[in-house]
Amino acid sequence: MAEMNVPESGAKKGHKKARSKKMSTRVDLTAMVDLGFLLITFFMLATTFNKPKTMEVNKPAKEEDEKKEEEPPIKMSKTLTIMLGSNDKAYWYVSPDEIDANTQLTLDSVDYGSTGIRKVIKQRQDEVQAQWGNREDLFVMIKPLPKSKLKNTVDILDEMTINNVKRYAILEPNDPIDSLVAIKINQSRK
Amino acid sequence: MPKVKVPRKSTAIDMTAMCDVAFLLLTFFILTTKFRPQEAVQIDIPPSTSQIPIPDKDIMMFQIAPDGRLFFGLDDQNTRLALLDALSTNYQLALSEKQKQAFKLLEIWGMDIRELPAFLDKEPNERAAIQQPGLKIDTTGGETQVEDLILFSRRANNNLRIAIKGDKTTEYKSFDKLIQALQNRKVNKFNIITSARSKQE
Repeated sequence: MAEMNVPESGAKKGHKKARSKKMSTRVDLTAMVDLGFLLITFFMLATTFNKPKTMEVNKPAKEEDEKKEEEPPIKMSKTLTIMLGSNDKAYWYVSPDEIDANTQLTLDSVDYGSTGIRKVIKQRQDEVQAQWGNREDLFVMIKPLPKSKLKNTVDILDEMTINNVKRYAILEPNDPIDSLVAIKINQSRK
Repeated sequence: MPKVKVPRKSTAIDMTAMCDVAFLLLTFFILTTKFRPQEAVQIDIPPSTSQIPIPDKDIMMFQIAPDGRLFFGLDDQNTRLALLDALSTNYQLALSEKQKQAFKLLEIWGMDIRELPAFLDKEPNERAAIQQPGLKIDTTGGETQVEDLILFSRRANNNLRIAIKGDKTTEYKSFDKLIQALQNRKVNKFNIITSARSKQE
């Protein structure tokens, strides 16, 4: 057992021959265990276990770098444009295939989350499926305005994953419609 | 009938096994611990459902503070030295051995490259107290400091991946500037660092 070796005294005083005493090899380990657990506690608290995750972002290449391939432009009726504004608001619209003077555009502001933008994306997916037969044809254009927060961009990219949107891109708000929207919601576009 | 004598037991317990366990765990924690690197600014990363873990090495890290200041860091000390060599030839920085060593240990920094030598001359605790102005970023042409950092770092280590750590409340404007700089160097793929979150939220 772990006891301290207390030298016995008195009993064998009278003996002439000094017999070397047999010492016990046991040492009291309590203090050592205490120290061990103290250090464990320290290292446990100092460790960062949950490593941060990353989210991969692919930006479309700049156009001047590459020879612009003549692709047929995407049908606007397959698209959904989401503009990210300030104060955690997102604005969405669907631009028509042909724009003329009589075109009416409905612009709606929603928040991020399952009742806001997710509903819009789901609804658009259903519409695209009804019109084109494949819900994966939906192309989402994400256009963050300068005043939006990074969190908003991450949230939107997240929604793309959650709603299984295969085709999306982060674009600059360059469209003439975007300028109108920016003016309407009173935010600078650049 | 003989009386059953209950032997008196000592209250001391054998600690050997407990000690073994304690030190085994201690060894495990010592080996797995990675201390949080010192940070130039406090950054609160946004949550996402993405589950890709951040790679262990070959990272070029950009950090964007809530106020838009941009910071730069490399994870490998040898790459840092190679980058510093390239910078000193291109920006005519005369660096002493002491300054080089200081840069080697610099986790993250953000300032005009020309101000680096003066910054490196300071003592580490002095440096921590200084509010760094952020990298000089100018995507309209003229100065290409951020572009140079990307180029020289990639020359030093071709496998570098680009990670962007931005605060939740960083405005897209400053994020966009960095992306412009990256795209000027034909980097179209990068990672945003996020914290984990469940899908239901």
